[in-house]
Amino acid sequence: MEIIKRPGGAMANRPLHFFWLADCSGSMYGEKIEQLNYAIRNAIKPMQDVAADNPNAQVMVRAVKFSTGAQWHIATATPVEEFKWDNLTSNGVTDMGLALQLVAEQLDVSQMPERCLPPVLVLVSDGQPTDDFNAGLAALMSKPWGKKSVRIGIGIGQDVDLEVLQKFIGNPEVKPLQANNAEDLVKYIRWASTVVLQAASAPASQVKDQVSTGVVPIPQAPVASDVEADDVW
Amino acid sequence: MSTLLQNNQIINGELTQQSYSIDTFLGAGTQGEVYRAQANGRDVAVKWYFPHYIQNDLQLRQRLENAIRKGSPDNNFLWPLELVTQQNNNTGFGYVMPLRPNNFKSIVDLMRRRAEPSFHALISACLALSESFLQLHAKGLCYRDINFNNVFFDPNTGEILICDNDNVDVNGATGAINGTPRFMAPELVRGDAPPNTESDLFSLSILLFYMLMLHHPLEGKREASIRCFDQSAMNKLYGTEPLFIFDPQDNSNAPVVGLHDNALVYWALYPQFLRDVFTRAFTTGIEDQHGRIRENEWRVILINLRDSIFYCRCGGQNFYDSDSVKNGENQKCWACNHPLVYPPRLRINNAVVMLNHDTKLYPHHTDRSQKFSFATPQAAVIRHPQDPNRWGLQNLSTNAWTITLPDNSVKTVEPQRSVNLTAGISINFGNTVAEIRV
Ligand SMILES: Nc1ncnc2c1ncn2[C@@H]1O[C@H](COP(=O)(O)OP(=O)(O)O)[C@@H](O)[C@H]1O
Ligand SMILES: [Mg+2]
Ligand SMILES: [Zn+2]
Repeated sequence: MEIIKRPGGAMANRPLHFFWLADCSGSMYGEKIEQLNYAIRNAIKPMQDVAADNPNAQVMVRAVKFSTGAQWHIATATPVEEFKWDNLTSNGVTDMGLALQLVAEQLDVSQMPERCLPPVLVLVSDGQPTDDFNAGLAALMSKPWGKKSVRIGIGIGQDVDLEVLQKFIGNPEVKPLQANNAEDLVKYIRWASTVVLQAASAPASQVKDQVSTGVVPIPQAPVASDVEADDVW
Repeated sequence: MSTLLQNNQIINGELTQQSYSIDTFLGAGTQGEVYRAQANGRDVAVKWYFPHYIQNDLQLRQRLENAIRKGSPDNNFLWPLELVTQQNNNTGFGYVMPLRPNNFKSIVDLMRRRAEPSFHALISACLALSESFLQLHAKGLCYRDINFNNVFFDPNTGEILICDNDNVDVNGATGAINGTPRFMAPELVRGDAPPNTESDLFSLSILLFYMLMLHHPLEGKREASIRCFDQSAMNKLYGTEPLFIFDPQDNSNAPVVGLHDNALVYWALYPQFLRDVFTRAFTTGIEDQHGRIRENEWRVILINLRDSIFYCRCGGQNFYDSDSVKNGENQKCWACNHPLVYPPRLRINNAVVMLNHDTKLYPHHTDRSQKFSFATPQAAVIRHPQDPNRWGLQNLSTNAWTITLPDNSVKTVEPQRSVNLTAGISINFGNTVAEIRV
């Protein structure tokens, strides 16, 4: 029998709730939605590694999909070690506002643990909302946990409404990321699920000149790759 | 997940002109990515910088060249060996350093209890850290980013390795890195001062507290009352309103049962002299840079702490606290809850060394002129070859000891001979006198 060498438990930590908000509207049909599925699956292991190396957080993942209406894709807060991604399919309009409403309900103080790290919300879209986005955003921002959330916006392709993503982010120093090819999408999704996740719980070394306003300092996002003709949407 | 270099890619050493072949990805940080690489069948580690980081840190290249020229402060640093560049890439670069062997675990593993050192090994790691940072600081350098992720240790031996040495610069130089939240000194969190040797010392105290207590010294009631632990909460807790959780004058930030249990368990377990030094580190040392605990003081304290370890019958390592013994407190074993039985011990000046079945004494203990030397054992606890109930201290040095018995008679203990562990015997090792207590 291995004798216990020292008393006590693991270092105390707090839950960190992470939400994917994925656009599944008709315009995502085909390559885009498959590339998003691929990019998220690709980010699972790095996300788990970052979480495992972070003693300050206990990372819980959920996902909302929106097209005509919005639904939970992963409804229960899932420990990141058990996080799996079922592929999304697409059709319908872009009810982004409803997606924000759904998340807002879950960020109500009655639904959240008393002590947490800032929630992280990553919104991925290729277009513009067809419903009342502002009402959704207002609902989100009416919740203290919504206001305290770290919000990242990733646009896919040229038709995305960057202004809407910027409004969602709510911090002029953090810009929406625009993925013009599959490679960039992989990069951005991974950045959001690793670097941003880390920043929200155990900020890394503080580099001078990084964005320091907002809920937590957000390290610089990766730069877009050179656009190759055959890889452009 | 790597983004910068590919498997089998070749990069070139600027100093040796060697080609390094990139192998697996090892980890990423804020400044770059680290890979295993090979040159001439030898494994090394290569750190390759993010292009955006190079743009932000204009002194980086110069700083690395200086570090490479000066060489490592001691063998515990994974120090840059040479710069590496890539053909057809004018802006990208990185550096080569020794590869961390697999028996080394991170401090995160310690915090998550994936690495379980004994108290002895853990304290040895704390001691080694203090000694290596002393070497670095003594050379006029400042580390700037002491934190969980830059230190590794061997849970079996307590050996340590320090990575991420590319921020090291002459104390006082301006640099690109200000430190890591939770480890930064309050004046840095507030933006009142740039990093320097004294802020390194604060970060070292935080790291040592974390390692010994598995908790942050400023996270008590105030942390518990914060709902969302965000940037402004951190600024308050670590910058504008820092208050030690065991501040003897102010208990408004005391640890909360159920939330901060490690702090409560370990604080009670260690001897008073350790509590005293941490109290100074996080009361007077919190605002006043002159009040920070220096490495040499940590070395004395940590050696004394390691010398206070003794074994319960269950095998658990416990600490002898002469203050609590003086106060007549009955210590119980943390592991089995039985009352503790103290082994014989040696009083040397103000320190007490427990004489366990495996205790050895070093020049640090026996020779006043060789403080901190653990080179060769000078004495060892030994069982009598014929009588297993008799224990002694064997002279492993090359000089005879003079011992004075309780009746004031004097005897000589030649090298290789042993003296009984009997109360009241005093041993003169040459320039240091010790007394056996039981
Ligand atoms: N010499 C090394 N051998 C093995 N792994 C290393 C070595 N140096 C760094 N690493 C790994 O790479 C990670 C990132 O390295 P680090 O220098 O801390 O990056 P950054 O300065 O960008 O934060 C470390 O946390 C560690 O896991
Ligand atoms: Mg680092
Ligand atoms: Zn015991």
